[in-house]
Amino acid sequence: MAVNVLIVDDSFSMRSIIKKTIKVSGFEVGKFLEAADGREALKVLVNEWVDILLTDINMPNMNGMELIGEMKKDEVLRSIPVVMVTTEGSERRVREAMEMGARGYIMKPFLPEEIKGTLCSILGEAEYAKKELDEGYEGGDF
Amino acid sequence: MRRKSLMKVMRAAISDVLETMFFMTVQFAESRCTLKEWFPDEQSLFGATISFNGPSSGSLWIVAPVSALNEITANFLGRGKDEISDEEKRDTVKEALNMIGGHGFSLFGRKDTFALGIPNSIEGLTLIENMQGNSSKDTILIEAGHNRLAAGFVVA
Repeated sequence: MAVNVLIVDDSFSMRSIIKKTIKVSGFEVGKFLEAADGREALKVLVNEWVDILLTDINMPNMNGMELIGEMKKDEVLRSIPVVMVTTEGSERRVREAMEMGARGYIMKPFLPEEIKGTLCSILGEAEYAKKELDEGYEGGDF
Repeated sequence: MRRKSLMKVMRAAISDVLETMFFMTVQFAESRCTLKEWFPDEQSLFGATISFNGPSSGSLWIVAPVSALNEITANFLGRGKDEISDEEKRDTVKEALNMIGGHGFSLFGRKDTFALGIPNSIEGLTLIENMQGNSSKDTILIEAGHNRLAAGFVVA
C-alpha cells in the first residue's frame, strides 16, 4: 500500500533528510508533502489525505504540540498518526507529546533505522486496523 | 548550572550530532587561541545562534567557514559539494546547532528541563566580533577532518 507522508519542519534540509530516509527505508510512498510549520501543515491537510505525519516541535508560527492540539479538535484529522521528530528530549516533553496523542517520538540526531522502525510499527498497525475494517471484523472473543 | 557541566554536554552533543547526521569524526583542540586565530584565512564564515531557557538561560552559537559547510551540507543532504546553495548552508548550520542544543540539554538528565528558541543565522565574522569579550573557556574549537569549526555558549 502506497502511503502519503506529511513532513513538518522549519528546516528544509531536515525535511529533505527525513524524506530521503523514508525513501531508502523501502516504504512505498504515494505522495511526500511538506510544511514549514503547524499552520502550513493544517493548510495542506485541508486538501490532502495523509497516512502519517512527522513533525518537529520547535517551529515558528505554530509549533508541533499546537499542531497536534488543532488536529485533535477535528474528527478526521485526529485519526492521522503523528510522530514527533525533534531535538527536544526531556522526559517531560516526551510525556507531554504522548499525552497529546503523538504515536511516536524520534530524537534528533537519529539513525535511519529509528525512522524506519517507528514507521513500520505505526503503519503496520494502521494497515492491520484498515484490514479489520475492510473485513468487517469487530473485535471481541472468537 | 555549572559552566563545566555545560561544556561537557556540549562537547558530547557536538560529537554525536556531527558523527550521526554529518558523518564527520570530531576532535576538540585544547588550545586557547582566539576565534580570529582559529580561522586565520577565512573571509566567508556562516554562523548561527539559539537561545535557551531553563535552570539558567543564555545562548549557544556555532560558526563554520564556507569550505567546511560545503562538506557538512553535502554530507547532510547527500549531494555534491558544488550543488549546495548558500541558503542550504545557512539552513544546515542552524539545524546542526538546533540538534546540538537539544541533544546536549537532554544529556543533563531528568531534572533539568531546558527550552530552546528558534535558531537564527548570523554572518560568521559578526558572530566572531560579538564573541570577542566572551571567555575562551566557553568556546569549543572543533576539528572535523581537515575542517575547523567553533561553537560555544553565553550564559546570561
